[in-house]
Amino acid sequence: MTDDTSKGNEGEAIGVFLCGCKGEISKFLDLDAIKDLISRVPKVKSIGIHEALCSREGQEYLKEEMKKHAFDRVVVGACSPNIQGIIVGKALEESGLNKYLFEQVNIREQCAWVHPEKEIATRKALALVNGGIHRVQMLTAMEDIPISILPAALIIGGGVAGMQAALDIARAGFKVHLVERTKELGGRAYKLSMTFPTHNCGICCMQYCKECVFTPKIEDVLQEKNIDIMLNSEIEDIEGGFGNRHVKVNTPEGAKEFDVGTIIIATGSKTFDPKRIPELKYGHPDVLTTVELEQLIVKEREKGTGVKRPSDGKTPKTIDFIQCVGSRDKTKGNLHCSLVCCTYAIGQARELKKLIPDADVYIHYIDLRGPYRGFEEFYDAAKQEGIQFVRGRVSDVSAKDGKLSVRAEDTDAGTLLGIDSDLVVLSVGQEPAEGSDKIVKMLHIQTDIDKFMKDINPMFPPELRRGIYVIGCAQGPKGIRYSVDDARTAAAEAIRIMHDGKVMMPRITARSDEYKCRGCGRCVETCEYEAISLVDDGKGGRIAKVDEIRCEGCGACAAACCNKAMILAGYAIPQVRETVKGVLEEVPP
Amino acid sequence: MSEKEFEPNIIAFTCTWCGYPSANLAGVNKIPYPANVKIIRVMCSGTVDPAMVLEAIENGADGVIIIGCLIDNCHYVSGNKKAEERMERLKKLFDIVGLDSRRIRTEWINASERVRFAKTMNEFVQQIREIGPAPRMPKLVKEALTNEKIQKEVKRLIEDTGAFDCVECGKCTTVCPVAKYDTEFAPRTIVIRSMEGLVENLANDKDIWTCSTCEICNSMCPYKVDYSGFIQGMRAQARQLGNYPICSQGGLIQSFMRFMANADLPQKRLEWMTDDLKISDKGDVFYFVGCIPHFDAIFGDREELGLNKIPQSAVKLMNAAGITPVVSNSEVCCGHDLIWTGDEEDFLKLMDKNLKLIKESGAKKVVFSCPECLRTFNMDYQDFAGDLEFELVHLSDYLLNLINEGKLKFPEGTGKLSATYHDSCRLGRHSKIYDSPRDLIKAAGINLTEMQNIKDKASCCGVSAWMSCNSTAMRLQMERMQEAKSTGADCLLTFCPKCQIHLSCAISKELPIDKEKVDIPTKDMVVALAELLESK
Repeated sequence: MTDDTSKGNEGEAIGVFLCGCKGEISKFLDLDAIKDLISRVPKVKSIGIHEALCSREGQEYLKEEMKKHAFDRVVVGACSPNIQGIIVGKALEESGLNKYLFEQVNIREQCAWVHPEKEIATRKALALVNGGIHRVQMLTAMEDIPISILPAALIIGGGVAGMQAALDIARAGFKVHLVERTKELGGRAYKLSMTFPTHNCGICCMQYCKECVFTPKIEDVLQEKNIDIMLNSEIEDIEGGFGNRHVKVNTPEGAKEFDVGTIIIATGSKTFDPKRIPELKYGHPDVLTTVELEQLIVKEREKGTGVKRPSDGKTPKTIDFIQCVGSRDKTKGNLHCSLVCCTYAIGQARELKKLIPDADVYIHYIDLRGPYRGFEEFYDAAKQEGIQFVRGRVSDVSAKDGKLSVRAEDTDAGTLLGIDSDLVVLSVGQEPAEGSDKIVKMLHIQTDIDKFMKDINPMFPPELRRGIYVIGCAQGPKGIRYSVDDARTAAAEAIRIMHDGKVMMPRITARSDEYKCRGCGRCVETCEYEAISLVDDGKGGRIAKVDEIRCEGCGACAAACCNKAMILAGYAIPQVRETVKGVLEEVPP
Repeated sequence: MSEKEFEPNIIAFTCTWCGYPSANLAGVNKIPYPANVKIIRVMCSGTVDPAMVLEAIENGADGVIIIGCLIDNCHYVSGNKKAEERMERLKKLFDIVGLDSRRIRTEWINASERVRFAKTMNEFVQQIREIGPAPRMPKLVKEALTNEKIQKEVKRLIEDTGAFDCVECGKCTTVCPVAKYDTEFAPRTIVIRSMEGLVENLANDKDIWTCSTCEICNSMCPYKVDYSGFIQGMRAQARQLGNYPICSQGGLIQSFMRFMANADLPQKRLEWMTDDLKISDKGDVFYFVGCIPHFDAIFGDREELGLNKIPQSAVKLMNAAGITPVVSNSEVCCGHDLIWTGDEEDFLKLMDKNLKLIKESGAKKVVFSCPECLRTFNMDYQDFAGDLEFELVHLSDYLLNLINEGKLKFPEGTGKLSATYHDSCRLGRHSKIYDSPRDLIKAAGINLTEMQNIKDKASCCGVSAWMSCNSTAMRLQMERMQEAKSTGADCLLTFCPKCQIHLSCAISKELPIDKEKVDIPTKDMVVALAELLESK
């Protein structure tokens, strides 16, 4: 028992509800036994068991019980609060319970489903429910934080995703600042000679385009009045918090500054540098990446000179595509599959075969992956056209006397192959774009193992994304269609919150206790979000003050504070202590 | 619980973004793991305060595991790294105290790694099963406190401390460092309020914890009222009424002391020892080290402190004079911070352990470098246990004596260090040792420049017994450091490790005033002396 002045709140009438989850819980736990024991815990006014609290009937039941007993605290023993807790909490809130006085204990994933022995699982569930009962008594009623959202958006990256988001938001009547670091809009898609599955145009403004399926038009973006396009520009700094961020951009015309309410990150990806795998001999004139091959094909289309290999201008007769260059390779830090390479390699192979019908075209792959509608037909057509698929990772490309040779095992046949090749094409994988790490730092975005940015699961309540959306290849390798999908959904949410002008944010934020704070500044130093500052305490000293819009509620400051003057709402030491005590207590006492 | 196999209680603090979802996924996939594990969700692994971990153990857990996002992939940028650093320091402390650092584990598990979650839980439960149960704290049986009992106790206190003689002249308030900044605080009014003898007063009085017990009031009181003694007694009463102080580090330090008081743990408190130092198990002279090894772990992120150098230097100095002191791994905390936070019960347990230990060592003399330990033995131990059979001596007196006897000599011409000296309250006003440190400074060839407020008027470092470290304390520290800096000396010397910790803490971070005005390093006197001894 450690000393602390913080004492629990009242909580005189606690309601406990146990959910049977239609047998998923009730079959594995003895809920009646839990009910029996918990009813002896002081301050518990009533315990109810329902077979599905998240169902319509369950919610009605909760409301009736609330009406009958007027609980001032509620503990629900059910599934993970991350899943159905929102529904149950909402039903309680509608009955007049402050949502911060409710705790959902996870007796399904943490008990029923993982502890096969019923008695043991029941005992643990009892302990967890008891912990919840202890915890709710330490909670205080709070209100959400209203956050104003400025009616302007920043879009970082002018590729297909960024352009689509820009168009949607601008057309909804909001100002859009579109920042692109290169000299033109369109991103990588603009450079493609054709796209899957039509096996045709890349982007509409290209003259060889026959039809346009889903890619937005650069021309549209250029003509949209609400979009301020900044080319050759880089984000210098972004400051502020949810709903109101100040952006500084370096443009060729000088620095620009503006404020935005939402930010869409569409920084895309870059292709893997094949020099990092020396055995593939990238650097030899006839070893190309798929991106470089695209340029050759585009050139051919424009001038009609046919595809020639770079070394001597001859038409290549044997062409080898090597898949997974830099993808699915732990040694290069990229465990991920780059998703689009199988598809585009097949597309390019078919195109080459069309241009050079007598050429032997091989695709060396580990697994062919094309989780897209139409892929199977696409692949089938390639086989029909005579593309040869060889299963096995290429170990080595050798260049003797200017002649290329590809060494690989055909793992289906179990034979070693040595193919004399005229042109080797490396299907390079994708990595986060240059400079995306800077954006990650500025906006405190969580990254994945492969350094791609994580978007907050859109299943979570929208306020958790704090007006920042990661879309397209910034999230990880993606097809054009899926990047555009991302853009449209993110734009829809950004439009909604800007339209409302306000979002209610859960008050899981830190605050400093003026009586305890000594103004040492440890919290300021530890905060990643620059949410804390030291202000004059009016007595010649200073105290810490939290900007609760900037605060993301991690509690690092609370743990760093020597005097425990900094408190994270809901997770103060006494609150955690009581929960632990309840969980470890023998019930009944 | 059956006797056959020990089933540990495990608390798993999981972060909202990876730890908790990985457990959910283990659930959805029905991957079993032991039911010993009870999950407590926190926002981030970095939310977990060391005090929360220790409290979990205090409240019945045998092991605590913290699960956060993969390193470099923290949802909150770096919460997991912060947690790891904190827990490393806590583990060190667990080992020193003998709680076994293996009871704490940190794991970084991605939300999708359900199998790893279950596997880790299996491993950890098995490991704790092998280590065995954590020590349990005895359940406190609270006596029913009545107004009558309290009044009787307070009356006794008033008589014992001479508080009855208070004529309400207010001199104590004018000299009180706390009252200077906390206008609602006055030593006098605490006494007045207590004379009303109301339980409610005592149960809600915050001022008894705000007092820094620096005793400047005692030394200035014309009627010799023992205010700090009065405060000490009142705190014990207040605590029984559920009136607790605000402790630094979430009460972590006092918690460890309670573990030491209530369990015989395999401590590792001599980690500071180096091969060149000579110590023994039995002998005439016992060197009582105190809590320094704990503080060294707790403040491990403040490298400038170098606290473990203090006992090293003390032994070095004694060795140089041909003394091989007894230093014991079984020593426990003197209990100073417990008795001053009102925990008399556990204080007495610590006292008994230390007295028994010293008796067994056969020592006739106990030497202290820490002023608090000295004061606690000298005043509190003798108050509770009667006259002690061995002599208590502070290192300053002890070393001075060795110098006078010619056994200890500082090299000639060392007079390069210029310093000012801070009288810590426990050594100065509490123990009345003012001159020996100054004589020692002279003997060692240090150029001493005095501050404005010295000896019985010395300013306070702001904090005692790890509590009420608030903005008033900060102001007192600023004041003292300004005084020190204005002497123009190279450093501030003090014998008290806590004064060193507090004063240097105040100037280590953000400052309300110009850094130039306070920027002077604080150094432990023992360390400075040992360095001079070795300088050529």
